[in-house]
Amino acid sequence: MKKGIVVVCTLALVLALGGMAFAENVIKIGAIYPFTGPMAGTAQMLKDGVEMAVDIINNKYDFDFLFADTEGLPNLGGAKIEIIWADSAGDPKTGMSEAERLITSEGVVALIGCYQSSVTKTASQVAERYGIPFVNGDSSSPQLTERNFKWFFRTDPHDGLYARQQFEHLIELEKQTGESLRRLAIVYENTEFGSQVARAQEALAKEYGFQVVEKLAYTTGATSLNSEVTRLMASKPDVVLMAAYISDQILFTKTFKTMRFAPKVWHNTAAPGEPDFLKSVGDDGNYLFLRQGFCADQVVNKPVIGQILEEFRNKFGQEMLADAVRSFHAPIVLADAINRAGSTDPEAIRQALLETDIPGDYCLSPWEGIKFDPETGQNIHSQYIICQIQDQDFYTVFPSEFATREPVFPFPSWDDR
Amino acid sequence: MPKISRKTVVTVLLYVGAVVIAPLFSKAPFYRHVLIMVGLYGLLGVAWNIMGGYTGLYSFGQSAFFGIGAYTSTMMLVKAGVSPWIGMLCGGILAAIVAAGVAYPTSRLRGPYFTIASQAFARTFQILMTNWDYVEGAIGIPLPLMPDTWRFMQFKDKIPYHIIIFGLLGIAILVCYYIANSRTGYYFRAIRDSEQVASALGINTVRQRIIAAMLSAFFTAIAGTFYAQYVLYIDPESVTHHALSIEIVMVAAVGGAGTIWGPVLGAAILMPISQYARAALGGAGRGIDLIIYGVIIMVIALVRPTGILGFFQRERTIEGEGGDDVDTTITAGTGSDDAVRGALGQS
Amino acid sequence: MLVNVGLVQALMSGLLMGFVYSLIALGLSLIYGVMDVVNFAHGEFLMLGMFLAYWFSVLFRLDPLIAIFIIIPVLFLVGVGIYKGLIKRILNGTRISQILTTFGLSVFMANMAMFLWTPNYRLAERHLTSTTGDLSIFGVYLGVPELIASVGSILVFAFAYYLIRFTRTGRAIQATSIDSEGARLVGINIDNIYAITFGLGISCVGAAGVLLATFYYIFPYVGTFFSMIAFATVALGGFGSVEGSFVAGILIGIIESLGGFFISPAVKYAIVFMTYMVVIILRPATGLFGW
Repeated sequence: MKKGIVVVCTLALVLALGGMAFAENVIKIGAIYPFTGPMAGTAQMLKDGVEMAVDIINNKYDFDFLFADTEGLPNLGGAKIEIIWADSAGDPKTGMSEAERLITSEGVVALIGCYQSSVTKTASQVAERYGIPFVNGDSSSPQLTERNFKWFFRTDPHDGLYARQQFEHLIELEKQTGESLRRLAIVYENTEFGSQVARAQEALAKEYGFQVVEKLAYTTGATSLNSEVTRLMASKPDVVLMAAYISDQILFTKTFKTMRFAPKVWHNTAAPGEPDFLKSVGDDGNYLFLRQGFCADQVVNKPVIGQILEEFRNKFGQEMLADAVRSFHAPIVLADAINRAGSTDPEAIRQALLETDIPGDYCLSPWEGIKFDPETGQNIHSQYIICQIQDQDFYTVFPSEFATREPVFPFPSWDDR
Repeated sequence: MPKISRKTVVTVLLYVGAVVIAPLFSKAPFYRHVLIMVGLYGLLGVAWNIMGGYTGLYSFGQSAFFGIGAYTSTMMLVKAGVSPWIGMLCGGILAAIVAAGVAYPTSRLRGPYFTIASQAFARTFQILMTNWDYVEGAIGIPLPLMPDTWRFMQFKDKIPYHIIIFGLLGIAILVCYYIANSRTGYYFRAIRDSEQVASALGINTVRQRIIAAMLSAFFTAIAGTFYAQYVLYIDPESVTHHALSIEIVMVAAVGGAGTIWGPVLGAAILMPISQYARAALGGAGRGIDLIIYGVIIMVIALVRPTGILGFFQRERTIEGEGGDDVDTTITAGTGSDDAVRGALGQS
Repeated sequence: MLVNVGLVQALMSGLLMGFVYSLIALGLSLIYGVMDVVNFAHGEFLMLGMFLAYWFSVLFRLDPLIAIFIIIPVLFLVGVGIYKGLIKRILNGTRISQILTTFGLSVFMANMAMFLWTPNYRLAERHLTSTTGDLSIFGVYLGVPELIASVGSILVFAFAYYLIRFTRTGRAIQATSIDSEGARLVGINIDNIYAITFGLGISCVGAAGVLLATFYYIFPYVGTFFSMIAFATVALGGFGSVEGSFVAGILIGIIESLGGFFISPAVKYAIVFMTYMVVIILRPATGLFGW
């Protein structure tokens, strides 16, 4: 019947499109990101980061970086890396089916992605089942590397590590300024990500002897955050620890300003580091602390960063921000492993990944290098840096060996700016 | 309406045949995944249809029952090691009880008031699940990975899942078929066509509405358990989300609400379109696949106002009150009748 | 003392937001009351209003408060166009086909916005009011953008109310909503009335979008959050009731705010929905003011 024909035609069209992607001597890597839905903007940044890495691998560049001086992978006859993109829509079920499709229909030899930890969970389950390496650079749930998976590797640090660094930073701030920062308010979005961060923070507060005066979960996409902020103000915290995604971070910043709420320290996850944040809030974004996997001012420690940032700017017409750096490492790590393995056999790649030892010079993030814990798959050298926004730009303030500026403390009141 | 039993036998054979043959066309797991999605959403659509199609109560809150099914079996499995088959049954029964508890106080609501009440209920449920630490709140629950086992309904291959979901769908269709041709089905349709008239005829409308809600919730929850066993990770965001409720309505509406095979056909059309469109275009990251999806839905609604199968069933449904009670009727009024004829003339 | 300031703060914030909810709900309620169509694409028209405000502020450097006078008529025409091209065809259709059509429209619009304007988050620039600070009365802080948005919402609402209640066309709209056949018999051009109503409904929600655009982030899927509130508001106030939308919007704004402050922000929308369920069970089939 007619609808049958329509279905069959759609099917045929799709299969035909799939077939066209065939090319000589390429190594396919599948990348799953939330290209539609609320996280679509972030997904574009992540995609640009991956494309930058692939560009360096596949083409010649005249700076000192892995694969910069060669085209493709030398040990595989110059084979090029090709990324097959897939949209998860931020949905674990879709992430799962897309991972499966990439492995079985597209023939990818490894997977990267998926940003949201819930999607990474299901997609990496599929990879584990099929025995395909999964290198993740952009999901921060501690659970991901607690599952004893054989095929899962993560370059970035996770939220547990982040929370610890955050408390170390608070203690250092106390030492520097002599002020007490013991009253904490934990604010987190009611999602997997927010809950994990809050859980870690609460445990560490106990460990380090901080007092949690308010623990406040909020609904993402709330149409108004006034009551949240009113509650926060009533608890009179010294420090607000916030785990939000970009959209709510914007609204929180606006609401803090409206209500003239200025805790001594406002400590955030990565959301203020997204390109849209400062574009939206302008100088209201100043003096926020945030965790970053990367900050452009680290160019003073690693000059190659400057050259890659320059290339990125030329290629995409925008700055390479922390999200792009998070996703940037994964294809580099995979290319390095596949090259050393000298084959695309999954088991050989996995062995090579286990032997990965990329020196810190080839990491854009401030790490000593990339080396995976054989038990968990977590990069043992990974760590975050704490930045502060000053003059609408990002400056590293902690740990001190990376710091490029003194932190502004306390958070200035909204009227004295 | 009397049915010839031979016709029934042929239908059953055709269904079984189609289910067996379908996965043989391609070994690609993605293709088989799409088939399983057809089965899953078909089941959800059939379950919705018991309420929406026959009784005329458009529930936009099915995700809550789906979540109850997924969480009940998963919690029983994770905390006590109970087989998901038992969990599935428990989840279904629990969902039916909850549905009765919701259906009773809302039994005087009609039209959009009922729709929004069901939506408000499901949203509330999602918020509560997100904040309930015992079920891990927003963090969600990964199911323990096991080797292939029927006892714990976990397989590496797609075929067992295929068999299970289409088996469940078959059972749901049979139940629907039985209801449609029973006195209960007659009561349901009477409520749909006019609740006042039904009441005047001596039908206990509250009771019938509760029965419809319970049946619908039961099958929805069963689908929830299947989802949990298939995806092996559940969190409130994925199993109680509002978008799921809407998808369910779409499936039933596109295929034809109020018909036995409509929701199955709707799933068979929408799932491949959305899955393959995303596979082909989603990677571009511009939402093109969803733009196309939106257009297709609009076109179907304009060309076939009663759903694709609904058209063929027109004579049966149009016998009702003739569109007097707009809130509950799904029969085509005279205007759309013309539209349907026009569409027929063109095709 | 603190709790009291907090209470007043929560009340005031809720009230301000409530006026905006009222305006968003009005469009939805109006369209349902007159045309008997539940517009599932309602939130996407809010999104459209927000994006128009953004583009006017960026491209023509027009403050949203000025641009709103252009955007309202533009959205009215958009509404009329969508009515003529799409909604008209489903008016006599089944309820299910109306759900399908408007839902398909919402998917289409949100993703079209994403296709055209990227998924980035933005805020519209204010050019007139950016210098003025925020108001503080006895420790209660009210943002100027929120104040402007709520006052603006009241004004637009009042204007719409005036149009509906006191003009010739408005009376025709009322007549149509009560009895479309009767209205037709006394010589009212039903088709025109429907087109005007749809345009008016879209202008209202779009105007709310413009007013939100200066302090609420703009992105293609922003409509879904607000439509959730809008549906509860309309059902609470009674489908088709103008006064009901107004009161219910304020109520929901205040319940959300107080619930978030006194109970827990994580469940504030659950409180809103439960309030709705209780009201609707006590007053089935009408809401607070419905008929």
